[in-house]
Amino acid sequence: MAENKALNRLLDILKESGADAWELTETQEKGWEFYLIRHALDQNRVKELESFRVKVYKKFDDCLGSAAAPVPADADDEEMKRIVAGLCQDATYVRNPFYTLNKPEQEGKAFGGQVETVDLKAISGDFLQTVAGLPETDGEDLNSCEVFVSEKRRRFMNSEGIDATVVYPYSMVEAVVNARKDGQEIELYRLYHCGTCDRDTLIRDLTETMRCGRDKLTAVPTPPLEKADVIFSTDASCEIYDYFFSRLSAGSVYRGISDWKIGDVVAPENMKMETAAFLLNSSENAAYDEEGARIRDMTLIDGGKAASYWGSRQFSQYLGLEDSFIASNFIVSGGKESAEEIRCGDYLEIMEFSDFQVDHVTGDIAGEIRLAYLHQGGKTISVSGGSVSGNMNELVKKMQFSAENRQYNCMLIPAVTRLNGATVTGAV
Amino acid sequence: MKAPFSPYLAGMAPGLKKLISLLREKYDYVSVLSTDSTGFQTAISQKSKSVTRETLTTERGTVVRVYRKGLYSEAAFTGFDPETVEKTAERISGELEAQFALLESAGVKPYETAVLPDEERTIFTEMETARLPETEDLSALVERLSAISDQGMKDGEEQGIRMIDVMTRASSTHVCKMFLTEKQDLRQSYTYSEGMIAALVAGEDRTEMSYTSLSGRCGPELFDRMAEKLPEAIRIAKDLLVAEHVVPGEYDVITSPEVTGLIAHEAFGHGVEMDMFVKGRALGADYIGKRVGSDMVTMHEGALCAVDVTSYAFDDEGIPAGDVTEIDHGILRTGICDALSALRLGVKPTGNGKRESFSHKVYTRMTNTMFDSGESTLEEMIASIQKGYLLEGMQSGMEDPKHWGIQCILDRGYEIVDGRLTGKIVSPLVMTGYVPDLLGSVSMVSKDREVFGSGYCGKGHKEWVKVADGGPYLKAKVRLG
Repeated sequence: MAENKALNRLLDILKESGADAWELTETQEKGWEFYLIRHALDQNRVKELESFRVKVYKKFDDCLGSAAAPVPADADDEEMKRIVAGLCQDATYVRNPFYTLNKPEQEGKAFGGQVETVDLKAISGDFLQTVAGLPETDGEDLNSCEVFVSEKRRRFMNSEGIDATVVYPYSMVEAVVNARKDGQEIELYRLYHCGTCDRDTLIRDLTETMRCGRDKLTAVPTPPLEKADVIFSTDASCEIYDYFFSRLSAGSVYRGISDWKIGDVVAPENMKMETAAFLLNSSENAAYDEEGARIRDMTLIDGGKAASYWGSRQFSQYLGLEDSFIASNFIVSGGKESAEEIRCGDYLEIMEFSDFQVDHVTGDIAGEIRLAYLHQGGKTISVSGGSVSGNMNELVKKMQFSAENRQYNCMLIPAVTRLNGATVTGAV
Repeated sequence: MKAPFSPYLAGMAPGLKKLISLLREKYDYVSVLSTDSTGFQTAISQKSKSVTRETLTTERGTVVRVYRKGLYSEAAFTGFDPETVEKTAERISGELEAQFALLESAGVKPYETAVLPDEERTIFTEMETARLPETEDLSALVERLSAISDQGMKDGEEQGIRMIDVMTRASSTHVCKMFLTEKQDLRQSYTYSEGMIAALVAGEDRTEMSYTSLSGRCGPELFDRMAEKLPEAIRIAKDLLVAEHVVPGEYDVITSPEVTGLIAHEAFGHGVEMDMFVKGRALGADYIGKRVGSDMVTMHEGALCAVDVTSYAFDDEGIPAGDVTEIDHGILRTGICDALSALRLGVKPTGNGKRESFSHKVYTRMTNTMFDSGESTLEEMIASIQKGYLLEGMQSGMEDPKHWGIQCILDRGYEIVDGRLTGKIVSPLVMTGYVPDLLGSVSMVSKDREVFGSGYCGKGHKEWVKVADGGPYLKAKVRLG
């Protein structure tokens, strides 16, 4: 990365500040955005952003104080000095048990996802062409769409000598589709995060969404089922697996939010969860985390048992981990049954929630049903309304997940997950 | 004292006006929004302590909006240099031209919109605050929050609760925004603050976390009242440890002001954001002038209808703050609207055009969304219920303007049988239903009302902005699961 004057001035000020240690992150983002109503352009936007964030540390016997602040890219020397001096003072107010910062890595596995630059025009063009090529009909079409394409560049430096730069593409697409029949119109909402444009996946998913739209037009109110086996086969599944991932973060464990210990049975006995340094087209691919630690592949759950924690330098060291990192991509595998085998007997397959959530502290799950397929006695009907609830501590005991996987940005997870015995409140 | 307007922005103004003038040679309309908002957040618990000089709304940057041939375009950037205005103007035009070329090759046509009017207007507002985030004594604040955490652990243990931690957080932001066009010069400066106490507790095979908060359009003086919230945090934690699951079904309920606010927000907050009318995404467009609730339901929205975290003087498009009566005794009167959607719909903007930050697009967004008060007392309302729940504490909600569904995830329900609270508690609760059914069932409304500003609101699943909502206690019929 080309040297920049503001960064050099800030570095000099940090070195002369009296801080016992420091971290400096320079973030740059170039972005193109397109907002469509139907297929007409509502607005186009460009952005070019640069900012710094500094964190200073002060040592006190067996404690470490720290404080952080953003530093505007156009700050002059006086403003930079004022901010850094203020942080050196702030750091004396909050003292945590001592820990050390990451150090430069001598050797590491080559990172396959590094890019030099991101072609905003080409990626934007791919998205616009994909949206224009959606297989719309008189009954199902695109209501509106927002396309965001960015080049993100992050340079991390610290007083231990780390100087690591990551450059990666980040894209986001929000799509709303309508389906209509006999004067009735409904909508379905999708939000995709990814690296660049994966045309086939986007077309396939939006086509499936439009099919769901047709079914929602004929949906009847969800009957009161009390307890039911519920199948997740959309991005709502991410919440379920993120629950396991979050419960294994060093910060959650150290602070008592999670009581999971290494070796505990925390998941179905065949489940394996691993972090992944690189996952094809994930928007989270980076060689280093935000604290300069090398991101690598690591097993978090093996055979249903907690195998390792992941997390920030501070909380990982408090748990005795010297070599951890802030993970972002993860893979869940180990399913013994096929998606078809899991879809057996009576079950409720949820195609659209208002907002499905899993509470990482309590394990409570909750979500309003916007569209589901109720398979009962060999018949299938579309239903809408009511809610799903329950608690993962109980549901995990009879949880099933498929051998087939499906990727949702930074998560490669089972395509089909079945939570048996969830509570289903009807809409009537 | 007055919250002083940013000297940085004041210094930039002449350069930005020159930028507007240069861009006007090429575009039919040009506006600039520049921000310089500072603040701090400190989080103190038994396990960890932190302090940062940033909050979710601290920022410094500029966004330029231009109009040509029926199309609005924007460029957001950091690091404006008044000495190189010509280069900045060229860079903005160049980047946008590159986008226009791509759009033309992709065959994308503009959604034709008229040009925004630019009328002479000047606003300079420095709102009252007792203290400023940038000069707050953080050492004393950290000590105060540490004492609250320590006291919470002690109080909980004395009540026989297995305490894991008592977490506190205080954040305060000094917002400075400047909106400029050829004829407008609007500048505002105000502070807002938020405090939170959460108690993390353990029971047999369960961990629970209670949550209490306070907020205000004020400086860090808000935190002088933090300790008052501690008993509530401990009481809620104790309640959650003995809570059972609700038997799913339809119940008569009384919603606490916090839950009332969540209903207001999800039902006819999002439901009447008029940028959704433009896209045909809101059922509300077809119900203006029609009944959507009982006679007891009156609802207001606007930065002027309460004083809390988002009570600004003008929005991010330079439209002065408003107070809109959305529902008047059960009849839907109007919605809220940003400036561009107002042009497209042929209505007046309401001062609800907001951005997540300077680098994000404007959408129609809520500010303070409030139900009006009624005539009943809480005691009368409880006495009127044969079998139901008093609902308290919000976790989250989700809008559905197209179909008028509603999802509210609530913290606790206190059982009422034969007009009395039984002491039995249920948690968590998923409240769902059809918005007109829910509002149509409102049969009692309390005299008092409160506003809550500790939450953030997304549009769909992104674009997070500060909002406040609230109201009185409502008696209604809802579905709980």
